[in-house]
This record gives sequence, C-alpha cells and structure tokens, in this order.
Amino acid sequence: MASYSTRVRQDIARWAENGLIDAATADALARDVEANDRRSLSFGSILAMMAALLFGAAILIFVAANWEAIPRLARVVSLFAVILAGYVGGAVVKTRGHPAIGEALWIVAAAAFGGAIALVGQMYHLTGDESSAVLTWCAGTALAAVMLRSSPLTVAAVGIAVGWLVMTLLGGFRLFGQTDFPHLYVGMAVILFLLSYCTLSRPARHLILLSLILYAALFAADHDMLQVAVALVVVSAVLFAAAVTAPGPVERIVQLGGRLPLHALIGFLTGMAMIQFTVADGEANANFAIASAVALSGIAAAIVLAGRESRGLRWIAYLGFAFELVIVYLVTMQTMLGTAGFFLVAAVFLAVLAFVIVRIEKRWAAPALQGG
Amino acid sequence: MTGRKLVVSALVLALLQIGFLGWIVAGRAAILRNGQEVLLKVEPVDPRDLLRGDYIYLSYDISRLPVSLIANIPAGQTTSDDGPVTVRLGKDADGYWRAKSAWLGKAPDAAADGEVDIAGHLSSGWSLTADTTLSADYGIERFYLPEGEGLAIEKDMRVRPFGVRVAVAKSGKAQIKALMDGDTMLFEEPLY
Repeated sequence: MASYSTRVRQDIARWAENGLIDAATADALARDVEANDRRSLSFGSILAMMAALLFGAAILIFVAANWEAIPRLARVVSLFAVILAGYVGGAVVKTRGHPAIGEALWIVAAAAFGGAIALVGQMYHLTGDESSAVLTWCAGTALAAVMLRSSPLTVAAVGIAVGWLVMTLLGGFRLFGQTDFPHLYVGMAVILFLLSYCTLSRPARHLILLSLILYAALFAADHDMLQVAVALVVVSAVLFAAAVTAPGPVERIVQLGGRLPLHALIGFLTGMAMIQFTVADGEANANFAIASAVALSGIAAAIVLAGRESRGLRWIAYLGFAFELVIVYLVTMQTMLGTAGFFLVAAVFLAVLAFVIVRIEKRWAAPALQGG
Repeated sequence: MTGRKLVVSALVLALLQIGFLGWIVAGRAAILRNGQEVLLKVEPVDPRDLLRGDYIYLSYDISRLPVSLIANIPAGQTTSDDGPVTVRLGKDADGYWRAKSAWLGKAPDAAADGEVDIAGHLSSGWSLTADTTLSADYGIERFYLPEGEGLAIEKDMRVRPFGVRVAVAKSGKAQIKALMDGDTMLFEEPLY
C-alpha cells in the first residue's frame, strides 16, 4: 500500500538523485515525514511490535531455561545470527517501505543482544553481574537506537533503564541495603533524553519524564525526606510556569507536543501527596492543612492556566482533585467515622467532583466548538 | 537516512554488538584455557528458592576470610571500605587450596611457585578487629545448571564435601571450571 509517506519518501529519493535537494536536506525531510507518519500508529504496526516483544521474551526465557539439548556454542551462535539478521533484515525491510516490520525486527535483535549477555553470564557462571548486565543491555540498545535513528529502540532503552531502577530498588540484584540509592539513573535519563532528539522519539521523552517522577517519589519514600518531595513540587511548578508563559520556546526545546504541563502537573501532584503523607503523620494538623491548600490551589491554577488547551491535563487535574478529597477525608475523619460514614462521605465527594467536572467541561467545550 | 546508509549502519551495529559479546566470551575462555587451576572447597549453602532460575549458590571456605590473614590493615581503621581484596592461595595436603594471606587492594609482591593470587571484592562495613571474619566474593559464587537439577545437587552438597575447580588468570580473575562431588566430576565446562 503506497501511503502518503511512502510516496513522499520516493519523491525525496528522486529529488536527491536529480540534485534538486542536497543529501542533508533529503535526510531531514525523510526523517520529518517518518516522525509525523509514526503519529498515526496503525493496528498492523501495533501487532508487529507486540509480536516482537513476545519473540524477545521467548528468547530471554529460552536462555534462562539453560536447555542442554542444544550445545551452548550453538545457542550463542544462533543468538548472534538473530542479532545480525534482526538489525540488517530490519534495515532492509524498512528501506523497502515497511517501517513497522523493520522496527519490530530491530526490537527482536535488541532482545537477542540482552539474551546473549545473559547467556554469556550463564556459560561462565558470572555472579553479581545482573546490574551491570542490564546496564550493558541498556547501553547497547541506546547505541542501536542512535545508529538506526529508531524511536521504538529508544523507548526500549528507556524501558530497560526503568527496569534497572526498579529491580535495583526491589532488591532483585541483592544490592538493596548494601549500596546507596541508584542515583546513576538520573545520568542515564539525561543521556537518553538527549538521544531521543537524535532519534526523533517523543514517546521516549514522555516516558523519561514520567520515570523521573517515579524516581523522585521512590527516592523520597526510601529516604523519608521531605526535601526531595518539596524539590519535586518546586521543579514541577517552575516547569509548568515556563511551559504556560512561554509555550513556543519551551516546546522548541523539549518537543513534547505541548504536553510538558501535563508532566509538570503529575510531578506536582505526586510531590504534594508525599508531602501531605509526611506532614500528616496519621493526624490532621496545621502543616497538613497548608499542604492540602497548596495542592488544591495548584490544581485549580493548572485548570485555569492550561486547562483550555489540553483535555488530558484537565483529566489529570480531576484525578488529582479526587485524590485530594480522599486524602483529606482519610486524614481528618478516619478516626471518627465508621464504614457507613465513609460511604456517605465518599458519595458526597463524588457528587461534588462530578458537579465540578461537568461545570468545567461545559465551560471549555463551548469556546472550543466556536473556535473549531 | 537513505536506504543503503541505514543497512550499512545496521550491519556495523550488529557487528559491534556481536564483537562485544565475542570479546567477553574470548576473555573468559582464555582464563579457562590458560589460568592456573586450583581446587576450592565449597561449603553447604543456605536453602534458597531455585524456581526462578536454576543455579546453586556456592559459598567457599575462602569466602569467609579471617581478618588476621589481612596483612595491610591501615592503623586505626575499624571497618572495611568497599573495594578489592587479594587473597593468596596455597595447596594443602588434601588437595584443596586455602587462603594463606591476604591484602586490601593489590598484593605487594608476586605469588611464589605453588601459590596463586585470586582477586576478590569486599563490601564496606565489615568489622576489621583481629578475631573476626569478613565475607569476600570472587565472582564465582553461582553455578548455573540445566533446568530442574539445582535442588538435588544442593541437597547432596549438604551431606558430603563438594569441590569446585577454578581457573585463575594472572590478573587474579577467577572462572569456574568444574563442579566436583568428592572425586567425581559432575559438570565440566567446555571452553565455549
């Protein structure tokens, strides 16, 4: 099927050949077409990506099974073959106009690289190396993403990095309690964020921002530190202000499709929730009241300042509002009311919430209809 | 990126990744081929869940290092820092190799004939008072088995002595060569 993007790409190739545009321009144009093409994910490409993920998981589990019927040299060589065939085959398929299948093949190759690292560790009984093995896998995938200018591979590298962070903290590598908090993650996130510009991977940038919020939350929980949560709130608020006051320049830098306020709001709400839990300490007090007031006014400010442009932001704000209602209730009333009381109050809260949402949605919907 | 350039990058990338893996394999195989061979006693291990991946957790008698063996503890230091430790092994009459002396960091002189230096790692926080022992690891604490064989072997290990033949490179890097049940060889590792 010759889609618009396929035709444009053929045209670009022809223009480049005829000397109408130079190679750099052709490259930039082709990448722009591709990046915008990806925005409309087709059902087929989603299926191809799922198949690739399943295939990758099969490789990893097959390695873990350590099946003796196949000599391990043969296992290593076949994994090498999958790596080679996946990367090169994917590139060939992609240049022939099937980008989704090409990207899926690259994901399989990246999984095979991870599987081969695990297999080598198993062959030579390497211990205590899971952490560095996963880091190596992440680095190899990031390298592949840059060399092939692949957005899915960038997302995969971010996913592996997040997996590393979570597994390190959960003690999957038997490191917890022995080493410090994995601050290395911040460095990895920064590098991957920079790489995502090179690979035109907006999804990777979204994922990195969300993972950094997760990182901050885990750090605050692990160290029981109010400062981390406060820092998260302040940074989020500053980012939000920057994104709202100067949308043009900020968008040129972060290139998130105007969704930076959304991330900032999520970060703000996460940080505020941690502050509220910390200062409340099981009972209502003045600090908790202040924190709750800040959180609620932050939500209101977010809706007023950026709610008109973004439906997603409004819904995050509603979720945050609902969460605030629950948390305020839990802290202030918990000790006094029984289950029936909780249901009654919850019903009232939901009614209030519904009323507020309906009012706001109606208010924003009218101008949007006129404008559109 | 134009078509041919993309394919060439993919090829270069695949060769880079395969080369990297091959380099690790070659390094490990070199230790197995050229390293000095020592036989270490393995101690019974704590029971652990083997369902997740089939390996047995090995604890050597050199895993627990008496502090009195360490020759160069800085004066006034009471707990260990995270860092390397070098342990000099010598062969005893029963054929097993045991720790004879040890240093934080590198050994001051080369090992004599009949002795081998093995490189280990010490985590921080172990007490360095003279009559205590601390726990070092050497990167050989795990032995992967075919699926389903871990439990039986671990059970046997608790009733009779097992040994592990280890190849030690000049750098002190150790590599498991074979798992021994007394005198019978259970698993011998091929080079690749």
